Order: sequence, then C-alpha cells, then structure tokens
Amino acid sequence: MIRSPATLQRRVPALAVLLCTLLAGAAAAQAQEDGQWTMPGKTYASLRYSGLSEITAANAKALRPVWTFSTGVLAGHEGQPLVVKNTMYVVTPFPNVLYAFDLTREGYPLRWKYRPDVSPNAIGISCCDVINRGASYADGKIVYNLLDGHTVAVDAESGKEVWKTNIGDMGQGETTPMAPFVAKDRVIVGASGGEFGIYGWLKGLDLKTGKVVWTARNLGPDSAMLIKPGVFKPFYEKDKGADLGATSWPKDGWKIGGAPVWGWISYDPSLDLVYYGVGNPAPYNPEQRPGDNKWTSSVLARRPSDGTLVWAYQFTPNDNWDYDAANENLLVDLTIEGKPRKVLVNFNKNGFQYTIDRATGEVLQAQPYVDVTWAKRVDLKTGRPEVDSTKLTGASKGNVKGICPSLEGAKSPASPAAYSPRTGLFYGAANNMCMDFAAVPAARVAGTPFIGAGTPYHAGPAGSHLGGFMAWDVTTGKKVWEVKEPYPVWSGALVTGGDVVFHGTLDGWFKVSDAKTGKTLSKFKVGSGIVGNPITYRGPDGKQYVAIYAGIGGDWFLLSGDVRSDDPADVRPPAEFMKDIGRHTSQGGMIWIFGL
Amino acid sequence: MTAYGYRLAAVLPFLALGLSSCGDGDRPAQSQGQQGNGASLAPYEAYVAAGGIPPKGAELRNPHKDDKKTVDAGAGLFSSMNCDGCHGGGAVGWVGPSLADGRWRYGGTDEAIYQSIYYGRPKGMPAFGGAMPSDAIWMLVTYIQSLEPPEVVPTQSWDEPPRKSAP
Repeated sequence: MIRSPATLQRRVPALAVLLCTLLAGAAAAQAQEDGQWTMPGKTYASLRYSGLSEITAANAKALRPVWTFSTGVLAGHEGQPLVVKNTMYVVTPFPNVLYAFDLTREGYPLRWKYRPDVSPNAIGISCCDVINRGASYADGKIVYNLLDGHTVAVDAESGKEVWKTNIGDMGQGETTPMAPFVAKDRVIVGASGGEFGIYGWLKGLDLKTGKVVWTARNLGPDSAMLIKPGVFKPFYEKDKGADLGATSWPKDGWKIGGAPVWGWISYDPSLDLVYYGVGNPAPYNPEQRPGDNKWTSSVLARRPSDGTLVWAYQFTPNDNWDYDAANENLLVDLTIEGKPRKVLVNFNKNGFQYTIDRATGEVLQAQPYVDVTWAKRVDLKTGRPEVDSTKLTGASKGNVKGICPSLEGAKSPASPAAYSPRTGLFYGAANNMCMDFAAVPAARVAGTPFIGAGTPYHAGPAGSHLGGFMAWDVTTGKKVWEVKEPYPVWSGALVTGGDVVFHGTLDGWFKVSDAKTGKTLSKFKVGSGIVGNPITYRGPDGKQYVAIYAGIGGDWFLLSGDVRSDDPADVRPPAEFMKDIGRHTSQGGMIWIFGL
Repeated sequence: MTAYGYRLAAVLPFLALGLSSCGDGDRPAQSQGQQGNGASLAPYEAYVAAGGIPPKGAELRNPHKDDKKTVDAGAGLFSSMNCDGCHGGGAVGWVGPSLADGRWRYGGTDEAIYQSIYYGRPKGMPAFGGAMPSDAIWMLVTYIQSLEPPEVVPTQSWDEPPRKSAP
C-alpha cells in the first residue's frame, strides 16, 4: 500500500482552496517559483509542474491567445519552448532553426535566429517525420540536437555557436531528435534508429567544450555498456550475470539490435543518478532475435560524470510489440507502507504504470492504466511480465490480432506526463488503441529501415474513441478522471499551482481543465493538430502565460492519411482507423501563447 | 564509411527473386535511338533539352513494363529492400511520399523512376544503385507503375448539410 504524504491529501472545500491559493498558498508557491522553463521537463525530476498560480479554475475561461508565430516549417512540432530571462527559445523540426524571442518588447520580435548547417540526408533515415523534442539551457548556453547526428551549443545571449559535436552516424541509421539533458557538467544525448537497427547508445558531452567524454552502449558486452563489477547492481536475479547485453541475443544480434534513446532524461542529484528509457529491439520480427534482448525496452540508471551503469530494469523482455520504454521518468517521493521511498513513476508504452525505487530498481507497483492484453500482470517477485502466449508475434505466426495497447503506446513517450505535488495526481495521455501485428522477416541494409511488421490499429475495448487524457492516482492505481478524445492524445501535460492542467489534441484543440475534477474550463482551436508539450512562465509584466506548439506530425504525419498540402505529388488515402482526421487539421508549425 | 555505403553481401540473398533473367548485366536497358536525318524536321530543343533531360533517342525504357510476374517480384523487392519502411506498405505514403497516387515529384516515366531509385533524390531518398543490379531496379519500377491511384485523388469530401445554429 502506498500513501502520499499527508500534505497531498488536502481535501477541503473549493472555496477554502481558492482563498488559500489567493492568500498564503500563492505567496509560498510564487516565492520558490522562478517563473522560467529552462529544461525539457521544467526540473531535474521532469514533473512538468509550475508553481505559477495566476491562472485558476475560476478564471481560466478568460484565457485567450495573445501571440502567434509561424516557424516556417511544416513537420511535426513536438517538444516545448524554453523561457529563460525573458527570452523564449524555440527549436523547429528539421532544418532545426533556433529562434530567440524578446518577450520584453511588443510583438515579441526576434533577438536573433540561428540557422545550422544540417544535412538533408537525415530526412531519409528518420523513422517518423523530422521532429525535434527541444533544447536545454545551462551555463549560458542553449543546447540541442540537430537531426543529422550533431549536438550544438549556442550562446543564449548572442546566438553565436559555441560548439558543435558529431554524435551520430547517419550511415547506420542514427538520427538525433531527442532533447539533450544537462546534469552537472555533462550534456547527455542519445540517438533514434530503433527502426534502422542501430547499435544504441547514450553519450556524455562536456558542457564547456562539447567533447564526448563517455559513450555507453545500451546493449552489448559489459565493457561497451560501462558496466563495472561491484557497481552495477540490478535488483532482480534475472538481470544478474556478465555480458547479458550480448548473451541475451543471438550471436552478434546486439550489433544491429536497436535500443534507441528518443525520449526524456531525469536526474536525482542526491543519488547522483540519471534515468533514461531505452527503446525497442530491432527488427520488430522477434523470431530473428530470440532471448531477452537486454537492455532494450528498459530503464537504465547511470552516473552522469562517467556514464557508469548502476542499475537497470527491463519492462518488456524480448519485446514482441515495439513497446519502446523511451518514455519520461517522473521522480517523486512517496510514503510506501509507512516508509518514505524515493521512486520514479513511469507510464510505459506497454500499458503498465510502474513505480520503481529509484535507488535500487525494485519495482513496487505495476498497474495497467489502459486495457492490456499482451500480459496478464507483472510478477513483482521476479520482475517479469506474465505474457499471454496467444499474443506473441513472429513471422511464423502470421497476423496476431487484438494486441492492446498498440505500438504507439498507451501513452507515447513523445507526450510526457505531469505531476502536481498539490493534488498528488499524475496527468497524461491514456489512449484506447489496439493493433494486429503481422511480422515478416526483415533484412538489414545499413541506413535503410529494418522493421519487419505490418501493424494496423483499431479502437480498443474502452469505446470508439481513440484517445484520452487522464488524472491518475498512483496510490490506488485508478483514474480519478478522464477526458475522452476522438483521436489519440499526442501532447504532453502541464499542471500548475493554480490547479489547472493543460493538454492539446490531434485535431487542434488546446484545452485547460480543472486538475481536481477534469472539467474542461476553456478550449481554443489552434492552427494545426497538437503534438507538442505545453509550458508556462511568468512574463516580464509579471503575468502568467502558457505556450504550446501547433503542428501535427511525428507518427501522425505517417498515420493520419492526407494531412499535407505542400506537395502536389503526395496525396494519400485517409487513415483506415481515423478516416476523418484530415477534415479537422492539416500541417502547419506555429507557436501559440495564451494569457488572461 | 560513406553515409549510404550499403552492404551488398547482406542484400544479395534477397535478390534471388527472378534475377536469373538479368542477361543484360548491370547496364540500364536503352531504347533504340532514332538515327539518320529525320531529326532535322523537328526543332533541336526537342532532342537535346537542358536540365538533365535525356535526348529523346536515349531515354531508358523498362524492359518488363506491365509484366505480371515482374510486378510480383517487384512487390517482393519493395519489401525486402525496405522501401516499404519509408513509403509504406502498398507504397501509399509513410514518412516518404506516396508512390501510388499517380503523382510524381521527380517524374513518372520509366527513366525518371529508375533514376530516382538508382541515384536517390533530395529530401531523403537514398541512392540504391550500389545495392541492386539494374534488373532489380526495373522490377521495382514495374511494381511501382502497376499501382492503381486511389479514388480520392484529387478531391476528398466530407460534405454534409450545414447545421441550423452556430456551435
């Protein structure tokens, strides 16, 4: 039994909460809230919570757009802007322009823009549109990845390039859309390419110079994975032994085994551990890679300074369903059976919400947050999922039907969740999509897709809606409320000290809801479907603003049928499982800012 | 290794489909060019155009055009060479553009499609010329040309009667 701290259990009448917020609460929250957004998930703990409390359930109806800007790019606008010292920084999808907007002047004119030299060859080796998931600010620099396997650091004041480092090999199918994360003096980066059979890795770069200090493989022999005897302490028996990252594969399979890093990174300074999710094994056809395929579809904990692996846990051994575990890990402290535990909370693509002791890797909870058919439960003693053998896939098995959730994920890693220390609840997407899975043999030609499955989607047992946005109580393993959406929810979540929560929809609605009840307080139709993550900040006028990208894309460039209009030579039939999305949106990259 | 240095050895086993007929080696098939003085009856520009367009008499022609067996072999190659990983199953469009809509960024003639595969194109299409013999590329061309454009081109309609009141 897990209990939240007593402070989270406030159950007081609404009026009292309002008064409390207006008087003491607001003052306290504002005091520790700097009103900025300097890293992808707002803080090291990646909670996407801001203490700003001017916007509340009482006044949210008055939210209105105050500014928009076209990025000039049409691809999927994932990720989020940063706001540092009254400047807003925006990274576009390929060609990865970096804009710096002056929030102190009317119309927010540009201070500068930085246009990197980025290779268009990257377009052809991006599995799922040419997206970018944003930047990090540290030490006076904006640090972000170019799609073609480079990390750049740009002076936040002058816009001048400080350093540029080649981190990825496009010839092997590596691209780099993830947002770098800065812990101590390390810039931590990873590569996409789970659909290209890469040999996945995480790298630590020196923040000052950009030099690669360490490279840690996510699979392969211990030496390549930076596993040191006595330091690496996985919690479960199944995960103990030498070179499991190589021996849990067929001979040399790990060399083309995928294990990309395309999601988010968190950091606990007191334990000095960074946490990151590793994506899928390659190819999708599991009959080409018998074994657990460590450490794909796993969470890994490393030392930021030298990359040493401290613990690891594999959510989906021998992943048969493309259940990447690239998703964010939210770091919170909970009281469990009377004992305070430092945990990470993980809403996995595979449909389970995991609560893991972040010091040891022990799984304390694994509870389904959508309909799950591939596994019955997770055995907390062994750490293994109890798989339904009728849902195992493979080229010899033909088309395996009714697998839930779909490989897009119950919640995609692309759309990170949020946590409010005020309500004690987690907020995020919970999609109602299942799939059939027809695996076929795949041949690897370096630099081309290495997939081997056709996987049509359909609505799950929960109804005809494909998407949902929920408030989730980890202590009970239950949804507290849910907003059902006709299309899959691909935006991240934002929750604030005003007890309101923001999310966007694929058909282009930007919504603000009551964090306690889920009641939609206000919504606005922006110019294109939303696949980005909302942020909030305090403007130079002292007021609270909320920013979000519009710009359908990412997987939904591939999956939505005909949502493009820029290429007369590319006209597509509607998507079978959501035929009318093209009626409600088309491509278009915009930044939207809302205020009262 | 260059950006697109394919490992030919890894690909060869998947090219077994009907390649025994590659009698013409690795050179693209060429149509028989017009010879003699007839050219003087037409303007010079019709024969030697600028901008990479070949002279009329030297256009590449698909030796397998409309051959049903080649279509099937080409469909197999479309999957085994991972073309579907970018252009989608049935080539209806994925991260790469649709090849089944009857529209062509870089031209839909035998030669244009062949060149797109052999040399690659800007915006992401890799050059597969080093990864496949000429006849395999023609099989892909044959398959791609066999695809029927969907009915929704060019109009997709959701028309329904307007509502009586504003939302």
